[in-house]
Amino acid sequence: MHISDGVLPISVAVGACVAGAGLAAWSARRTRSEDLPKVAVVTAAFFVASLIHVPLGPTSVHLIIPGLTGALLGSSAFLSVALGLLLQSLLFQFGGLTALGANALMMGLPALACGWFFQKYKGRTRMRKVVIGGLAGAAGTALAAFILAVLLATGGEDFLGVARIAILAHVPVIIIEGIVSAFTIGFLARVKPSLLRPSFLSPTKAAHG
Amino acid sequence: MHEMIKEPVSREPRRTIVLSAQGVCYRYPDGVKALSGIDMRIAPGDRIALVGRNGSGKTTLIKLLCGLIAPTAGNVRCKGRTLSAEHYDRSRLEIGVLFQDPDDQLFGHTVVEDVAFGLRNQGLPREDAHQRAMQALQQVNLATLAYKEPHHLSYGQKKRAALAGILAMQPKILLLDEPTTNLDPGQEAVLLDLLKHFKGSLLCVSHDLIFLYNICRRAVVLDQGRIHHDYTMHDLVSQRRYLREHRFDFSFRLVCLPADSASKAPASTSTQKNPPASGKMNPPPLVGMRNYAYQYPDGTRALQGIHLFIQSEERIAVVGENGAGKTTLLSCLIGLRQGTGDYYFAGMPVKQKQRKRLWRQVGIVFQDSADQLFNSSVQEEIAFGLRRIGCPRSAIQGRIGEVLSMVRLEGFENRVPLHLSGGERKRLALACVLAMEPALLILDEPTAGLDPQGQALFYNILKNFKTTILLVSHDMFLVNALTNRTLMMHQGQIIQDLTTRDFMRDKSLRGLNGLTFSLRQPR
Amino acid sequence: MADAVYIQMPWWQLPLLVLMPLAALAVMILWLRRVVQKQSVPGEERDWSVPPLTQSGGGSPVHRWDVRCKIVTLLVYSFIIASLRHFAPACAAVCLSLVVSMIAKIPFSRVLFRLTALAGFLGLLLIVMPFTVATHTGDTVVVFGGMGLGLNLRGLILAATIIAKAAAIALLMEPLVSTAPLPVTLHGLSRLGAPDMAPQMVLLSHRYVHVFRHEVRRMAAGMQVRGFSMQTDMETLRAIANFLGMLFVRSFERTERVFDAMRARGYTGRFHAPGERQIKFADVCGVVIILSVGVALLLFDRMGLQGWPLCTK
Repeated sequence: MHISDGVLPISVAVGACVAGAGLAAWSARRTRSEDLPKVAVVTAAFFVASLIHVPLGPTSVHLIIPGLTGALLGSSAFLSVALGLLLQSLLFQFGGLTALGANALMMGLPALACGWFFQKYKGRTRMRKVVIGGLAGAAGTALAAFILAVLLATGGEDFLGVARIAILAHVPVIIIEGIVSAFTIGFLARVKPSLLRPSFLSPTKAAHG
Repeated sequence: MHEMIKEPVSREPRRTIVLSAQGVCYRYPDGVKALSGIDMRIAPGDRIALVGRNGSGKTTLIKLLCGLIAPTAGNVRCKGRTLSAEHYDRSRLEIGVLFQDPDDQLFGHTVVEDVAFGLRNQGLPREDAHQRAMQALQQVNLATLAYKEPHHLSYGQKKRAALAGILAMQPKILLLDEPTTNLDPGQEAVLLDLLKHFKGSLLCVSHDLIFLYNICRRAVVLDQGRIHHDYTMHDLVSQRRYLREHRFDFSFRLVCLPADSASKAPASTSTQKNPPASGKMNPPPLVGMRNYAYQYPDGTRALQGIHLFIQSEERIAVVGENGAGKTTLLSCLIGLRQGTGDYYFAGMPVKQKQRKRLWRQVGIVFQDSADQLFNSSVQEEIAFGLRRIGCPRSAIQGRIGEVLSMVRLEGFENRVPLHLSGGERKRLALACVLAMEPALLILDEPTAGLDPQGQALFYNILKNFKTTILLVSHDMFLVNALTNRTLMMHQGQIIQDLTTRDFMRDKSLRGLNGLTFSLRQPR
Repeated sequence: MADAVYIQMPWWQLPLLVLMPLAALAVMILWLRRVVQKQSVPGEERDWSVPPLTQSGGGSPVHRWDVRCKIVTLLVYSFIIASLRHFAPACAAVCLSLVVSMIAKIPFSRVLFRLTALAGFLGLLLIVMPFTVATHTGDTVVVFGGMGLGLNLRGLILAATIIAKAAAIALLMEPLVSTAPLPVTLHGLSRLGAPDMAPQMVLLSHRYVHVFRHEVRRMAAGMQVRGFSMQTDMETLRAIANFLGMLFVRSFERTERVFDAMRARGYTGRFHAPGERQIKFADVCGVVIILSVGVALLLFDRMGLQGWPLCTK
């Protein structure tokens, strides 16, 4: 779920933008400078992935896949999320820029947390990776819902009802995200396990330039 | 085994050699050896074909020659200077590489900006770079599309745009990795023309022997990471037994098959130009399309006035240039798209609801098999379709084994589809489709991207099938050998519908719409 | 609490006054989106051999505005709108944004598309807020008899204000982004202090979103032709997970190839920016005008109509 412009008090919006920009800069610094174009290309993939509808009863939901973003990108995840949101706002005609910081924090912090959690506990066996991946995905989505509620609540008691509904609406999504993350990590562990390593990409071959 | 000829053709002493490899070896990070003992010299004006089976190290050699990766032993020299870290930047600007997928190379916002990218890296100021970029686009006939965004271009246009980006930099040597995959013969001819006018040296990796024969004078054969031959193109093509020993015999394509080999397929087929509208005499056709048309949401007419009748166990080829509407026709046949007009499958009209169930009876093998494979093991891949059609659990394992042996992939149950080679993936995609026992089997460019060995294997598997087959291909050999009826499409319409024999014989038809090809005998 | 005004309404008025208008609104928005989506495919008649914006005759004053001024001004103005608190100024902001859109000659379909994009979240606010807002003194609450559901009119107005603000800001995005070629706009950001790599990353991402969308469509077709259909069950989730896995594997492999292609054409870590322009007097005028309007709006908001004498002095 995206927060739209005009919802948050201006101080929170501006503060979130500053915090978001700072975290994005940190994330960029943690990425090797030659990898930055590569982050841009895979951000496009994550962006497209988040457009997929998963059926849920009568409606469908979009996944934010914080677990996968974190597991595959590590510290670059925040940069990727911020970039994706910027793309969405600028080019895919989705809202304005004032809520960008808040949305980046809402989706980027869980991605970073999931990434850290996954790398720390992933273990060696495939089954363990699957379980940890699923837990990371679910917990990450729950964290995102929590941050959303907190941000909404900064608007005052008028927004508490909306905050509560937002959390409730996320419950089925949390379960679905956990399951999808688990299966996807399982697929990747079999097909291309090098993607699940902490560095941005698999150790490069003796490259020059 | 004949003796390995190791000495290069250009025996001229110390001519200005543009690019040379001396004792180059390369080992992947996981330890697998890719190349060993590569010695090669490329002189100005040389036209070299680099051939070999898929997996013999050709792409790796190209990446080594242009400095993208460094050899683990030996060195690569460009104009006498060893390629090393300090020189890579300068050398790369003189070596042009055309990669296989143009989407990997077109990363600018508009076509002209992309072409100017290399020029700006060469140090040209913005205005000059822009001018040179427009000139290069003029050369490849894309000047009218200069400001278009790359994703709006067709595949052939993208290929030319990528080539323009390289040619604009005026490289001394051009390395091409499989430039003709997925191009139709007309587009191939355009590419051939452009390359013939290129003044520098050229190294081209390809399986398309006829294309190579037209440009290259020298052939280097790579087998399992080593150079086995390095001699003239003519010598390579004329020594068929050597080719066969290396198991990439091209010659099975160069021989005209006797006319009755194509009729090995059961003869209950109709070969009229326009089948009677009522169809009383023949059993009801498996596929009947009358006045079928399809229009994209933005208004482009992809198909119009399609009349198509396919009988059971018939084998039909659909040919035509890229963009003629063949893929759209296939999408409509399998129910992915819904057009206007009549479409009957096995006697039942295909409307919204039936369209969703067509997949049970129509199977399709895509041009890019990676688009169809999405499981982490071969047996899950095949089981996926089987479960969807309701095959009982107990029968699934048996069916998997059966189908894998049909496509010569026995024992592959636990392999990962993405780790298979191109040819194996194609056969796996075929297996997944065959497992569901479709009434109609559609093959979209089945041999594109395969090396000759893979192509021969695929052909051998297909020729004995009894299913109704619809084949879309630019490969005239396959069309001739597998089918007995050919439809020719152009701009969304079927303009010819004749027996394959008549199609092959009629030179004017073959020349139509740029679909020229030659079945030359090796001299 | 005791000073809130309660209006009692029979329960059957709930569907009439609340549910039906909402449903009608939802249907209208969905229909609008569909109409707009059909129109938004780029036409083929344009002459692609000339740069895109010179064709609309230099466009409008917004087209000719220096990119850096445009970005800074519109951003600051957006934040001003976001800080508005009352309904009337918010509506005024929407009107002003529409005026800017008209001056910039933005096609109506793009305007509509922007407006309908966030309908989900805002719709949620519109439905939930009136019923869950705390009751303050001076509120008017419409209670639908017997159900205990109180529709607080202040909540309704609050939701409407938020929607108006969101619309006003969203409407400014088009003039910001589509009145100059994308690389120029993005490089304006970098001349304002963002790192050089930032605009290039956005451009690269944008390019490859289209490539991956095509791949996803082909892969989805590949799944459909083997009978896959979206249902709410485990099998579907597993298939979606596999699909995502394939997408990531392919995209990471493509990234490597793109990087190789970039290096092969001499990329050494720097991208080259399009040309620069000097700031002219007209550009500064534009900044002053828009920011004054913003300040006026703010004053209007904070001080109501009594604030006007302060501005017009």
